[in-house]
This record gives sequence, C-alpha cells and structure tokens, in this order.
Amino acid sequence: MNLSGILVVVPPARLDAAITDLSTLPGVEVHHVDPATGRLIVVQEADGVEAEMAGLVAIKARPHVRLAEMVYHYFAPEGEES
Amino acid sequence: MTSLTRRAFLKSSVAASAAATVGLPVSKAVLAQAKTAEAGWAWDKAVCRFCGTGCGIQVATAGGKIVATKGDPAAPVNRGLNCIKGYFNGKILYGADRLTQPLMRMKDGKFDKKGPFVPVSWQAAFDEMERQFRKAYAEKGPAGVAIIGSGQYTIQEGYVAAKLMKAGFRSNNIDPNARHCMASAVAAFLQVFGIDEPANVYDDIELADSVVLWGANMAEAHPILWSRITDRRLAAKSTKVVNITTYRNMSSDLADLEIVIAPSGDLAVQNYLARELLARNAVNWDFVKKHCIFATGPTDIGYGMRPTSKFAYDAEKDIQAKELENTLDEAEAIGQRRKAGEKVAQKSRASAGAHWQITLEEFKRGLEPYTLDYAAKVAKGDPDEPMEAFKAKLVALADLYADMKRNTMSFWTMGFNQHQRGVWVNEQNYMIHLLLGKHGTPGNGAFSLTGQPSACGTAREVGTFAHRLPADMVVNNPKHREITEKGWKLPPKTLNPKPGSDIMGILRDLEDGGVKFLWVQVTNPFQSSPNANHWLKAAREMDNFIVVADCYPTLSGKVADLVLPAAMIYEKWGAYGNAERRTQMWRQQVEAPGEAKTDVWMMLEFAKRFRLADVWGEKPLPGLKDPAFPEGRLPDVLAAAKAMGYSPEQNLYEVLFATPENRKVAWPDPVAKGHGNATVKALGESWFVEKALFEEYAQFGRGHHHDLAPFDLYFRDDVRGLRWPVVDGKETKYRFVEGQDPYVKAGEGFNFYGGAFKAIPTGTLDGVTDPKPVPLPGKAKIFFRPYAAPVEQPDKDYDLWLCTGRILEHWHTGSMTRRVPELNRAAPSAVLYMHPKDAEKRGLKRNDTAWIESRRGKIRMVVDTKGRNQMPRGSVFAAFFDESLLVNKLVLDAVDPISRETDFKKCAVRVTKA
Ligand code: SF4
Repeated sequence: MNLSGILVVVPPARLDAAITDLSTLPGVEVHHVDPATGRLIVVQEADGVEAEMAGLVAIKARPHVRLAEMVYHYFAPEGEES
Repeated sequence: MTSLTRRAFLKSSVAASAAATVGLPVSKAVLAQAKTAEAGWAWDKAVCRFCGTGCGIQVATAGGKIVATKGDPAAPVNRGLNCIKGYFNGKILYGADRLTQPLMRMKDGKFDKKGPFVPVSWQAAFDEMERQFRKAYAEKGPAGVAIIGSGQYTIQEGYVAAKLMKAGFRSNNIDPNARHCMASAVAAFLQVFGIDEPANVYDDIELADSVVLWGANMAEAHPILWSRITDRRLAAKSTKVVNITTYRNMSSDLADLEIVIAPSGDLAVQNYLARELLARNAVNWDFVKKHCIFATGPTDIGYGMRPTSKFAYDAEKDIQAKELENTLDEAEAIGQRRKAGEKVAQKSRASAGAHWQITLEEFKRGLEPYTLDYAAKVAKGDPDEPMEAFKAKLVALADLYADMKRNTMSFWTMGFNQHQRGVWVNEQNYMIHLLLGKHGTPGNGAFSLTGQPSACGTAREVGTFAHRLPADMVVNNPKHREITEKGWKLPPKTLNPKPGSDIMGILRDLEDGGVKFLWVQVTNPFQSSPNANHWLKAAREMDNFIVVADCYPTLSGKVADLVLPAAMIYEKWGAYGNAERRTQMWRQQVEAPGEAKTDVWMMLEFAKRFRLADVWGEKPLPGLKDPAFPEGRLPDVLAAAKAMGYSPEQNLYEVLFATPENRKVAWPDPVAKGHGNATVKALGESWFVEKALFEEYAQFGRGHHHDLAPFDLYFRDDVRGLRWPVVDGKETKYRFVEGQDPYVKAGEGFNFYGGAFKAIPTGTLDGVTDPKPVPLPGKAKIFFRPYAAPVEQPDKDYDLWLCTGRILEHWHTGSMTRRVPELNRAAPSAVLYMHPKDAEKRGLKRNDTAWIESRRGKIRMVVDTKGRNQMPRGSVFAAFFDESLLVNKLVLDAVDPISRETDFKKCAVRVTKA
C-alpha cells in the first residue's frame, strides 16, 4: 500500500469546486481544508512509484490548482514495487 | 483491525501528519491518532537525494526498513514540502532489481571482456580489479587510470576518491559528472570573484521584486524553489517573473514576461542589457568604482572538440574541422567587430581562460554593437513572433533590470552552463548585477542554481575535479600543492602538477587507448555523456577495464567489465552541500541489501592493496612540463617518505586514511544515537570513518573562507544544515558583504576576497598590451564577453535545432528503478517535442514515430506537438533520461573551452517519418 499526503493550493474562492473535482480522481481523498488560504491536504493511494507520480502530475494539471507537492509518503514495507 | 479499517485509519493518519507538517490546523485528537499509527517508528532528519535544492526530509524506519518519509517542517529550504521526486527517497532503496553482489564478465572461470556477467565474491572482484589496475598503471602510469565521480557523492566519498587518486595513485584523472552541469558556473565564479559558489541565498526569493530565469525551467527542475517563487508572485502583486528560454515550458505559466530566444542569443541579450544600463545611466558607479574592474579575454578559443579528425565519423568531420579554424557568420562578425566570412584560426584553444584588465572605455567599445536591433535579430527565437513584439520584450526586460527600486534576482541552471560559451554567459550575468551594484545583498543577486544534490558540497568544495584540490585549490599551483601535501602529510612533489582529463577527456582517452582502467562511482556516464556511440564502442571494444559501482543496473553497468553493488543514500552516513552553501548531514538509517557496500568501504579496501612502494616511486607522466619537475616524470618520493617515518611497505589505507589521528575518532560515537555504520562494520574497525575524514577535510577550508562547522553540530536536533563559512558556530547568509560575512572587515562595505586570478595583465579588447600582472585585491571583475555563434547550426541536411534536458516526472525513473533494456533496443518510448507545423511538413502528427538523426547517430522517438514543452518552429526537444533511448547518441560533444562543460542544448538534427 502506498499512501501520500499532498498539499494542494487553490484560490480560496475556488475551494469548493476544487474539492469536488479532486475527489473524482482515482485514489484521491480530500482530508483537511484551510478555507482562508485555499490549502488542502489530499491523500492519494496508488500502486507504486510510477502510479504515485502520475497521480501527482494529474493533480497538478487540474483546473485551479496553483501548487501541488508531496508532503508525506508512506509505503508498505513488503511486496510491491516495479 | 480489518485491512479496510486499517487502511482508512492509515489514510487519516497520513493526512493528519501532512497537515501538521505544513501547518494546516488539525485537532489534537486527529494528531493523537496519527501518533498511534506511527507507533514504533523512529524518525530522523535527512536530506533529499535528488537535486541541488537540498530539501530537508524526515525518514521513518521500523523493523530495519524505511516505511515513510516526509518533508521536514523545520527545514528552511522546503518548509515541509517535497516535490514529486521525493517519492523516491524511501522507495529507491527497495527496487526489485537492486544490485546485491559483484558481477564480473567471465568465461571458463576467469575474467573475460567478452564473457557474460557472473556473480562473484568481493574478494574475486577486488583481485581482478587490482590485477587490471596494476597492468594499466605499469603500462601508462598515473595518466592511464581514471575515476568518473559525481555530484551525488557524499562529501566523504568525494574526499576519499580525490585523496586516493591524487595523493595515492598520483593521478589527476578524476572528474565528476558535475563537469556536465556545473563547470561553467565554477569557472565564472573563479574568474569573477576569485572563489567558487554563490553569494546569495534562497531567502532572497521572498525579497525579490523581479525574478528572471535564464535557461532555467525551475518549475520542472527546481520545483520547491519554484513553489517559493510562486508564493512570492501571488503574495506580492508587484513581483514580476521573467522566463528567458529557447522554448515555452512550464515555468512560462507563471511568468509575466516570456522571452523565447535562439540558442546562444543569451550572449547578445545580456550585452544589450549592459549597453542599456550604461545608456540609461542606471549603473551604480559608486559600487563599480570601489569594488570592480573591467576585463575581457580571447575569442579564438575553439569549441572543446578533438583537434584531430582521426576518430570522427565522416559526417562529423565538417564540424570537427571548426575546432581549428572557423569562418565568422554575419552575427558573430558584428558582435566581435570583425568581417563576415573571415576565417579565424582558433589560436587560443590552450589558453581559453586567459583574461586581462581593460578600461571602461574599452568595455563600452565592446558593447557598442549590441543595439536593440542587433540583439533582437540575433536572439529572436520564435520565427512566428513579430520582430517588434520581440523588441518590446527586450525593452521591458531592460526596464526591469534598470529600475533601481526593484530588488532583482537572476537564476540560471543548464541553459547557461551547458553552453559552448557557458563561462562567458555566466560572467555576463554577473556583469549586469555588478553594474547595478545588486549582488549578494538581500533580494538582489545573480544566482547559479545546481542540478545535483552535492555538486557544490562535494564535487566543487572537496575538489573532485581533474584540476582541483580541496577548498578551491588547484593542482597546477605550487603553493596549493604544498598546502595540500602538508595537510595530507605527503612528501613534497607527491602531487601531480598536471591537470588530468576531464570527463569528456576520460571518455576520449578510452577511445584512443590513453586510459585503460576506469572506475565509475555514483553516476552513469555512458548514458549521460554526449556523442555516446563513440564511448559505448570504446568501452566494449578497446583493451580496457571498466568498473561501475552502482545500486541499480544502469547503461554504464551494462557496458562495464565489473559491476560493484553499492549502498545507497540512507544505507550509509553522509553529507551533502546544496546550492546556497548549506551543508547537511544524515545518519545511516538502514542496512544495505545483500552484499552491497558503501563506496567509501570499496575505496578503502582497494587502498589496502597498494603499498607506497607501488605508487610513490618514479612514474612516467607524458607531457608533463613543469620547471619544478623532471620532464615527463613524477619523481620518486619514497626516500622523502622514509624520512617522514613512512615505510615503503605501508599500504595506502594506513598512510592516507587510517592515520593515527583519524583512528582517535572512535566508533561508536554518541552522535550516532544507536544508528549503525556499514563502512566501519565492513572494515572491522573501531574508528568513525565518515567523521574522521570530514574533520580532516574541513581543516583545509577553516580560516580560508570555506569554514565548515564541526561534524557533530550538523547532527544537533535544532540544526537543519548550515551555510558556510560557519565561523564561531554562526552561518553566513551573504558573502562578501560587511556585517554578514565574517571575512569582510568593518568599513569595507564589500570585499570580493577570493584569491584566484587576482593578478592579471592589462590590455584592450584585442589583446594584452602589458603582460605584467597587476594585483586586484578585493575586486570583482566585470567581463565583456561577445556573442559567439554555436559551432553547429541547422543547415540543409540537418535542419532543426535539438535541445535536450530533463522532464520532472521522469527524473531517474530509468536509472533508479528500472532494468536496463537491451542496449540497441529502439523502443520508441521517449518523446520528441516539436512544433505542429514542423511535424506536418514531415508528414508527422502527434504520437507518430519519427527518426531523429544527427551527424553522430540516429534514434526513434514519438512525436508530441502539444505537450507542456512548446517548441518554436525550427527547434525540437528531447529528454535525455530515457535509458531505452540514448538521446546522447545524437548530441554534439563540443564543450566550453574554459570550463570543459558539455553543451547539451544545441546541435543540429533532421527528423523524418519512421
Ligand atoms: S526540490 Fe530537489 S531536493 Fe527538494 S524534494 Fe524535490 S528533488 Fe528533493
């Protein structure tokens, strides 16, 4: 299991639209929101590094997203990985 | 807990930790839950392995494995963020194809260059290595052996490699891959300031009103710094961002002004800017008069190619011939005040770095041709942009620079450095900032960024270059050799005064049989060096022995004779230095898999196999001409060694590394807090190798402008790296500035105290008039450097420019996590960015496969006309990372003649439908 916590920054006015939009991405859940600054923490679940990176690239490419960078990366010790 | 609830639990814990790391409000209960999820994990601070930004991270281990990483909230560089490459920091250790035992080419139980790889013991690997090294060393002397090192070396690795080669084997053939990325920046620092590395710091991003990127796609190459620029741009509305580039890239998205220039157009634009500053009287004359002088150098310096066509393919010969004589085109002729069509013998190839002082009037005369019309004509990079629109952009750029009220930061990376006139174009940026008096002060400065995590800390500061010694000293300076010999306790004249081969030189030496033993460490030169077909063939077909130490199978491993499995980043103790002089260290966190060992251990074990009698006798050194040395030979220093108390039977490990002083630095050490040490364990020793060697190395810089802190200080819980010079435990933000830099005295204001090239002749734009060196203590040099045309340009046969570079998410996915595909497999996976009209003209559309061919090679790629890199007509872009497709087969191996750094950014190709 690979989980990453990602900081996403959007214009505060677009927060609701961004939450709805980000939640449609596979493996992505929006967890914490700071309405004042437009900052969100999303958690992405993905199979391996390639998928995690592709997922983050996809988040960066969403409308309104000014910044999306990884903050926290947890990965299951065994098993997977290309 | 069921796996589903466990997963939900973990997710909310990850979210809570991430939120806390970047300072988003979270409740105590949620935080407590995150703590529970992390129960039993040990967190420790470390550094990201992947770029010169130098982000701090926290690494969690449990059960002997890394289980999580996070951005370090206390790290001033990244404040809790990591970029996409951060995904690899933990994962990189656990790829399925990690190398876990030595592999040697064998046939019938013996080494055979034509044999397949067979797993062998370390003993067998070292035995063969020793045999092969001795053979090459006996036949060719110190010039016949080489190490290609890395800007990803830890400080200690670089130090051991440099000392082993230079003091032990008396060979200067050690050069890092950093030659390919930073050498031009280094040479410019030394020529302008007399000392390497930036005066500014990242903190300036938040203080800048104008941020100008010159050949630096920071959005992709330095994402965390880019996020800081983005924040600044959005927070302070008056901030302007300019992206000067040869094609539209991701950094353009944020830019207020995007200027698409032609390759080498930067040389003309910067002279136009300087001319404008003078014309508008925007020069800070007080600063310039007190702290600067004007200088220039020769222009007939060649292009760093081979001077002979002996090894060139037929198709290469026309370009290669320009190494000795070039015909000026119109733009170059105007920029150099000469006549178009003039044939210029490249007479100053051997003295490309020579320079002399000129007057302000001469400086102005040099700039005179660089009018807006001329600069725009030379530099306009998009044929579809109207000339007037382009000119307006240059004027807008000049307006920003000339505005005395705006704090101005210029940033650059490979667009400047990987340039046939890379040193010049770096120097031109200092020219602008020095004319403005805006350098090395809060929010103002010309800032050279680095690509690799320790290009600064190791390659440059330790001096793992063919011409360098620690702390900015150089091998061909007798005083520097003397200091180093004293520091290393070597007999006088042990050190070799002749600079060795740089990275392209070493590869060329393999091709012509000059180098017969090569050890590659922490890098992949057969992938990353231009004109690759030559070197791949040389590796496999010449009589030589190539050792590659790495953690994954790379292309270089594939063409080697012996592959040594290396421990990775957090499997060893280490230290890196980033682009703002910040030295950061980490403890070993976990053990390397299988038989993988640290590079330091490999070198120390190898050193044990050579006695002083083997290396410190008289050695041939063809071409050595130095008044203090016998011609063509390094003298026997064994008698002098004996007088110093050494025995010829002592080995290099004892003499150079496990010295009585170093043995006093005991392992275990409380600073380790219970962490292991793979090097010490494998050696079976009780001295703390990494600490002892760091302290030994640091002696060279302390008191000499390069002060590093004591080893233990970097591990203190509240320290997140320190920017040198660190004097009395205090780091330095701005160099050369009174009140900031401990080396600048009260009342001086500024003092550009670097000692290199600080006494130069006097002359005019056309040459030296008085050869007597005039000392220039404390001064910086404002260089006039003219426009020079790229040596290879599109013509009727090869009608497109090719630029190569990195793309964010592909960083290292090849060399770090994937198996190496067959060498000749032409899997068309890599992408060629091109303009839709250029594609259409060739019958191509998006996702078609195309042949791309230069004078040097031919590969297949997939065409993209819409990606984030939008090419102007006439130019194509390819990423060089892809192991399945060697873009470097196409690239010209011209280098900057001063810095010897390769120009990966401009050569000519043709594209046809596959
Ligand atoms: S910006 Fe560089 S140092 Fe920072 S996380 Fe990304 S790769 Fe690592």
